[in-house]
Amino acid sequence: MEQRLANTWHMTINEKKFIESALSKNIRVDGRSPVDYRQLTIKFGREDGSSEVQLGETHVIGLVSGQIVQPYRDRPNEGTLAIFTEFSPMADPAFEPGRPGEFAIELGRLIDRGLRESRAVDMESLCIVAGKSVWAIRVDLHILDNGGNLIDTANIAALAALLTYRKPECTLGGENGQDVVVHDPEVREPLPLIIHHMPVAVTFAFFNEGDAMVIDPTHKEEAIMGGRMTATLNSNGDVCAVQKAGGDGVSLSVITHCLRLAALKAVDITSKIKNAVDSYNTARALRKVKRHNALVAPDITVPDSVMKGNQIGQLAEHQAQKFKEESTKTFDTETVVGIPKETVLFNKKNINFIRKDSDSFIGGPSNWDPYSQSIPPTFVRSSQIFPGLHSSS
Amino acid sequence: MEVETSSSSTASLVDKAVVPGDIVLDLTSMSDQTIRLGAGLRQYSDVLSVVKAGKLKFKKPNKYWVESSQKRYAPSVEDTVLGIVVDARADNFLVDIKGPTLAFLPVLAFEGGTRRNIPKFEIGTLLYVRVVKANSCMNPELSCTDASGKAAEFGSLKEGYMFDTSTGLARMLLSSPTCPILEALGRKLSYEIAVGLNGRVWVNASSPSTVILVSNAIMRSEFLSDVQQKILVEKLMQRVQG
Repeated sequence: MEQRLANTWHMTINEKKFIESALSKNIRVDGRSPVDYRQLTIKFGREDGSSEVQLGETHVIGLVSGQIVQPYRDRPNEGTLAIFTEFSPMADPAFEPGRPGEFAIELGRLIDRGLRESRAVDMESLCIVAGKSVWAIRVDLHILDNGGNLIDTANIAALAALLTYRKPECTLGGENGQDVVVHDPEVREPLPLIIHHMPVAVTFAFFNEGDAMVIDPTHKEEAIMGGRMTATLNSNGDVCAVQKAGGDGVSLSVITHCLRLAALKAVDITSKIKNAVDSYNTARALRKVKRHNALVAPDITVPDSVMKGNQIGQLAEHQAQKFKEESTKTFDTETVVGIPKETVLFNKKNINFIRKDSDSFIGGPSNWDPYSQSIPPTFVRSSQIFPGLHSSS
Repeated sequence: MEVETSSSSTASLVDKAVVPGDIVLDLTSMSDQTIRLGAGLRQYSDVLSVVKAGKLKFKKPNKYWVESSQKRYAPSVEDTVLGIVVDARADNFLVDIKGPTLAFLPVLAFEGGTRRNIPKFEIGTLLYVRVVKANSCMNPELSCTDASGKAAEFGSLKEGYMFDTSTGLARMLLSSPTCPILEALGRKLSYEIAVGLNGRVWVNASSPSTVILVSNAIMRSEFLSDVQQKILVEKLMQRVQG
């Protein structure tokens, strides 16, 4: 009992009364007006599909990963999208390690609803072979610091991560032309996901039985609010999801007012995300150019015959030809001898599996991991080691 | 060998940033002196070494300590802190002072306190208190009186607004001469302030907008120099008046 009291965050009567009385005069404790958003910062990691979003003091990391699995029986030509949340006790002492709390589940479901049921991510383009193999996209959201309004921040983190994620290109090949070949990202440029529109969540908090309304509440405001409403809209003003779970009742006019405000904010946030993603893509393209130069070292790619002749003129000619190839970006697997062609490898077990499943397909995901060959075990995130810590949505 | 080099550079370490493992003093050359150690320093046989990152401070004649800024508070005797009443028991109030454990405030630790006039505090009351016992393995003990048993401004704080900052900022606000930000704000506005060494600050004024202005100015001043603090206040004032 005492330990629990020591671990929770306490709010004084003074703060509660002050925030309420200031709000009745349309003043907020951080100096914002009731319809102002806090400062939004979007950053990206070095890897594709990782984003870091800060909204005021709130801090969320989004990570997207993909895996090839068998599709669900009722949707044989669609991939899957799943959202997982992790609430670290470092973010807020109220978050308990281990089991996900009520709020963790609500947050995961709300983002899931906004992204999936509005069909923001094209599911059919995730299909490789209908009924056999599709991409399963997984979005992990890690809450690093809780400064209030986790829903909006986590939603932006998920969107930013999805927009920068690239799945390795897949083709059919092998002996019978039916095996899935996953191409190495070095050989074939990975493809981004197809995202039709960006549903942005905007959260409102209500105080004093609906008298006062604020957008983007801080954690102190969340502690004393009477009710909360989250509206998920895209930049066209289409409502994708609305969540109002209990709390103070509000009138219809307030809700329409909120939706109108949310539409404005959604346009604003969408443009911020797009700008951040564009600058990331530019930086990524620049990085790519550098990496190719470093990879194609002369002693690796020059064929043996030229080396035997050992003529400087020939070597220079070959170099020039190679640079031409680079500039036109015609990167063929045959010319690059130095790069291991492990992409076309497909182990025996899986070939057997595919042959067998045509007559005895039992549904359920396969356990084949496209990364296990090229990624060392240290890259496997803790989230995959301790699946019990996550709330599946 | 290491001791020799460090003792030669001891003088330069005062008022500098130090990290755990730094050797502050060599005690072999000063056998007949008494040295008083504060937070963040520890004696290992013949040397004094640092156990906490921060700034090494020295006060004549013989006091050494390390000053650092953190979000959590380590209770120490005679600190004045702001606490929140979390629970009321028969003998004690349980008070949250941002420490590792809750602190006990005995119901008799008030001016003229007897069994008959036990004060009534609601859960969530903000108190200005003094730490009287701080031992590891024990909950710290608080008191609402000064050393002579007088109330001396201790007790509950009514109204106003309380916010959390770091311990470093709280110490900066309490330093003398008066911290430039408080002085600059005080020239233009009238407000009441209570600063606890545990990094809690309480501000009260006649209008809510003044409270918000003062508290935001304080929160943004932590890493500003004296001149920058004055400029910040001037800018804020222009925005409010303009």
